Amino acid sequence: MAESYLLLNADAVLAEVRAGDPAAFERLYRAFEGPVFNLARRICRTAEDAEDVLQETFYEVHKSLAQYRGEGSLWGWVRTIAASKALMRLRRNKYRDTDELEDDFHPAAPKQDTLLRMDLEAALGRLGDTARSVVWLHDVEGYTHDEIGAMMGKTPSFSKSQLARAHEKLRRWLGEEVA
Amino acid sequence: MTDVTHCTLDELLALREPDAPSEPGLAAARAHLAACATCAAEQERLEQRVARLRALPVLLPVRDRYAELEARLRRERRLRRVRWAGLGGLATAAGILGILVVGGMMTPSQGAADQQLSQVQAESRALEQELARLDPESRAMDLVTAQVAGQLQARIATIDDRLQRAALGTEPVANDQLIELWRERVGLMDALVDVHLTGASQVGL
Repeated sequence: MAESYLLLNADAVLAEVRAGDPAAFERLYRAFEGPVFNLARRICRTAEDAEDVLQETFYEVHKSLAQYRGEGSLWGWVRTIAASKALMRLRRNKYRDTDELEDDFHPAAPKQDTLLRMDLEAALGRLGDTARSVVWLHDVEGYTHDEIGAMMGKTPSFSKSQLARAHEKLRRWLGEEVA
Repeated sequence: MTDVTHCTLDELLALREPDAPSEPGLAAARAHLAACATCAAEQERLEQRVARLRALPVLLPVRDRYAELEARLRRERRLRRVRWAGLGGLATAAGILGILVVGGMMTPSQGAADQQLSQVQAESRALEQELARLDPESRAMDLVTAQVAGQLQARIATIDDRLQRAALGTEPVANDQLIELWRERVGLMDALVDVHLTGASQVGL
């Protein structure tokens, strides 16, 4: 990941960005645009929304750079901004959130790895926005239920129950239920 | 035959949490999991599912929109400078207006209009300075950018002509019209600076 460059040179790059060097800011953008877009794309419904989140995230990073004190990793800071922008985008768009179309989803029985992965992508996309966001933020990005609850303006219990319900559905849709 | 109560998915998920070992409420579930092959298999499937989620491919943007962001940041920086310049002009104008109002030479509504006029003139001046700093005459530009810049300059010249006639008294213009003319000039100047900074295609002209 391009982040490795920034891990080695974070202080120097940040000092250059703060001094108003546009090339340094572009280096920062290029280092994190992939992971930020991926996070946004996993939370948002469309690539266009994820692109907007990417823009909003780096706009915010540029604006708030003076407030970043180097506590925690730079990626951690950028990622939290991205996650909160993506969740904000979801709230704004008020997409469908509860009506997964599970009826017409029929996973086949034995699967190859590729097929399994495709099914997982499809199943993930079939989850409601909130449940999908919780799954991604918790299981992949490693946020705690406390952190997710805070980002969503909800309680940690809300995050826990969303995760459990989402896994119930994933398990069913992927044909992993115990007979 | 004895009834077996297996772990719920909530419990299996809770057992994966970093604070699970210190959760007394999970002691029974933990003990059951250690002894039950069915629940252990379910836990394993859960772990596999999470591992597969983590292994999903990284999705990358198809379009590169960095130039858009850069243009937005440049525009913000410029507007900040313009606002500061405007505030400087505004402070001076406010001082003069204060004297005139206190001295009974001007009504407050006239004062507000003059204040607006001073502000928009200051913004226009700041943009002129920005344009001079860019020195577009000394730089090569593509045909589209040159055409758009030419059109903007022509429209600015038309407004300048009207402003000049208003100043000379050959074309009477009401105060609010005058403010509108200056605002239009600021908008065109802003677009012109943008065009020279980023090229016509980047500013959507």
